[in-house]
Amino acid sequence: MKRNIILILIGLALALWPLGGYQEGIIILMCINCVAAMGVSILTGFTGIFTLGHAAYMALGAYTAAILTVRYGISVFPSILAGGFMAILVAWLIGLPTLKLTGDYYAIASLGLCEAIRLILENWQSFTRGSRGFPGIEPYTTRGFAVTIFIFLAIITFNFLESRLGRELKASRDDGVAASLMGFDTHKSKMKALVISAFYCGISGALLGGYMGFIQPSMFDMMKSTELTAVVVFGGLGSLSGTILGSAAITLIMEYFRDISQYRMLIYGLLLVIIMVFRPEGLLGSREIWDLKMGVKK
Amino acid sequence: MQFTISTLFQQIINGLSLGSVYALIAVGYSLVYSILLFSNFAHGGFLVVGGYACYYLLTQWGYGVVISMTGALLASGITAVLTEFSAYKPIRERTPITLYLLIASMGVNIIIENLFVVTVGGRVKALPQNTFPTGVFNLAGGVTMSASDIISLVTAVVFLGLLQLFLSKTRWGLAIRAAACDIRTAGLMGINVAFLISLVFFVAGILAAVGGIFLSVRYSLYPQLGSITTKAFIAAVIGGLGSLPGAVVGSLILGLAEMLTAGFISSQMRDLVVYSLLVIMLLIRPAGFFGKKINDKI
Repeated sequence: MKRNIILILIGLALALWPLGGYQEGIIILMCINCVAAMGVSILTGFTGIFTLGHAAYMALGAYTAAILTVRYGISVFPSILAGGFMAILVAWLIGLPTLKLTGDYYAIASLGLCEAIRLILENWQSFTRGSRGFPGIEPYTTRGFAVTIFIFLAIITFNFLESRLGRELKASRDDGVAASLMGFDTHKSKMKALVISAFYCGISGALLGGYMGFIQPSMFDMMKSTELTAVVVFGGLGSLSGTILGSAAITLIMEYFRDISQYRMLIYGLLLVIIMVFRPEGLLGSREIWDLKMGVKK
Repeated sequence: MQFTISTLFQQIINGLSLGSVYALIAVGYSLVYSILLFSNFAHGGFLVVGGYACYYLLTQWGYGVVISMTGALLASGITAVLTEFSAYKPIRERTPITLYLLIASMGVNIIIENLFVVTVGGRVKALPQNTFPTGVFNLAGGVTMSASDIISLVTAVVFLGLLQLFLSKTRWGLAIRAAACDIRTAGLMGINVAFLISLVFFVAGILAAVGGIFLSVRYSLYPQLGSITTKAFIAAVIGGLGSLPGAVVGSLILGLAEMLTAGFISSQMRDLVVYSLLVIMLLIRPAGFFGKKINDKI
């Protein structure tokens, strides 16, 4: 309960703090990235399935929402939800066969999926306007809206991870054999995790479209997918607060280096390697931030 | 597009030529995967190093083709070994989770790519015209075969043959095959595993450089050239990760599929076909054609 109140207070601060247009944009971007990162965290951090293609679900969400609002004049909220459900549908189809296998097969399939979806969006000129991008999206992602959705999803996710299903996911991550001996269908729990994480990414993509007003297939390439996984690892696998902190930090760092864009990617690559070499457990490891304060070790 | 026998033969020749370049790169992927069980995405970086080393040895320092190529192979091999020492080894000593290696390798790839962007610039470079013979041979029925096609096919066969000889006839080849089977036991049997891993990276780097030189002849040289290794990686997956014959077969299939699509459907669809092939393969036969069987029956 205390945690929910703190989250709501943070949300109020983020939404109401008087800021200029530029800072406001950064906060919106942070919220959007955090929503996607929470999704990947559920899958990678808490269920132990690696992904290299979650930008595909963002693309699906973004394009679904954009096409529904612009072409068919459907109102914003149902369109965003439709974006989320579109991502769920595709994730379900791709997860059904690949999640049965141990190893990184989902990761490899997701890499193919991500590129395939990007190429379809690029080549389906009549429907998506191809690589020229899809302009004229109504700017529905205001600061208040983005923060509200982020805080709402954060509260749900924190509680979800302590629910029966959340524990089921962690069990199948820690020891799949033991979990299935306890009577869990681990394939089903992995599917649930994938579908939920795809939904988050779909929503995040839809919000991104509403913030930028313009989407383009190249916004959702392999780099973006890698970034999503990297952010979760950077924050700490198995720590939702770590994921949120990591995502916010990376967004800020990337913004800070915007002036020296040539070196930006170089710094990003170095950061990835340095984190992996010196602190592979990420910022918080598998602890949440309040455990840290009390020195609780899990 | 019209279907003619001569187009068919032409595209088959083009496909084999492209496939042979993929094979050189894919074998490097598979070699590393067979020992360390992770997909080394820095492979594209090694390839770019080889391409640029060859370019500068030829143009700036004016060496002959043979010396330049040897220098390029050495440069790539050394880069690969240095990467292993500075990034992968510390991670391996700390944790058995291969995801960290995977993300670090993506970081290394971004670093190498952007080092070239920052130092020599992102502009496209071409190897000097007279590097390789450029004649075109007319085969029957208007089918042509360029000298570079022949050279890349022959070189691929020579290098893959040398690799096969090295793996099957030498003591270190035997050691590598033993380590691919079980690296712990191989270590217990008195094989110097640290040296062996460096050796594998060196060999993979050399093969990447050969691929890089041919790619920069076929297309041109630019820092993002390494992204083409994604396709070689897909070829390795289709053939079965960790299997060298599989990598060759997968590469030839991929090269043929790509060129036949370009010839008979549309050249925009070729990438889509590649990624769809990957996803379909993973759905039907995730271990690839020659991969180790995945036992996952609980």
